[in-house]
Amino acid sequence: MSIIIYLQILLIIISLVITFGKDNLNMVIFFSVFSLICASLYYFYRAPDLALAEAAIGSAIVPLIFIITISKQREFMVICNIEDDFINPKSKEGEGYKLLSDFTDYYNLKLVVRENKEDTIYGVFRVRNVDLSVKKKKDKYIFEGKSTSIIMNKLVQMTKECSKVDILLVEEEQMDD
Amino acid sequence: MRLDILLSFVVVLIGIYGLTISKNIISSIISLNITQAAVVLLFLSVGAIEGGEAPILGGFTPSIVDPIPQALMITAIVIGASITAMSLMLTIKLFHYYGTLSWKEIIEREG
Repeated sequence: MSIIIYLQILLIIISLVITFGKDNLNMVIFFSVFSLICASLYYFYRAPDLALAEAAIGSAIVPLIFIITISKQREFMVICNIEDDFINPKSKEGEGYKLLSDFTDYYNLKLVVRENKEDTIYGVFRVRNVDLSVKKKKDKYIFEGKSTSIIMNKLVQMTKECSKVDILLVEEEQMDD
Repeated sequence: MRLDILLSFVVVLIGIYGLTISKNIISSIISLNITQAAVVLLFLSVGAIEGGEAPILGGFTPSIVDPIPQALMITAIVIGASITAMSLMLTIKLFHYYGTLSWKEIIEREG
């Protein structure tokens, strides 16, 4: 029984480290270690089926979906439907690109600009969860965003001085993502 | 009172305490996961006996551990994984709505 006591004291130390930790990514790594120690404890309690399930689910799949969430939450997806120098995703230049990168720096997000060409986006691999789409009408650029999102208000404030840009807030179902 | 039951109950309490003090949504979900894994540990430690074997048929086994908590807890692990996946999906939606992951700021913006 003594190895069970030692492993449980280690488990208490690791759970205290997770509880008082500050960085989210470190906490996810420590949670993976926590699950591995839990799996070995289940084995010593004579439950090998639970140990198999916990080692597969707890220490591999759950940290994987945590890391996917942490990487997804930092993205601001922009679909670019224009083909001039206002937004140039390859060289990361242009007036509009500078505006959008100022906006994403304010919220500490990562700006992702995709060009909408018919031959690159198709099938199940087409882009979903678009935050903003850029179109051109006459000589004005239309920024189309979701009206449910609160961070769009900040973008409306930032583009007040810029006469080239119009903000259009639409319902979630009308976004062409 | 056996010491291993007491120690696994301490881990449950640490998980609940982390749920109350966490300022971030992600750390709340991690604390929920700690509580879930520790509850499984608590049930197994109640069912275990000194010198017991795994409850697998075949051969002569004089004493086995209680198989009922093990059969119940395999369901709890799967339910915990699916609840984690669903709450993380809601976290992404909440971040795209509010632009932050802090509980305090979200409650302030709701008013």
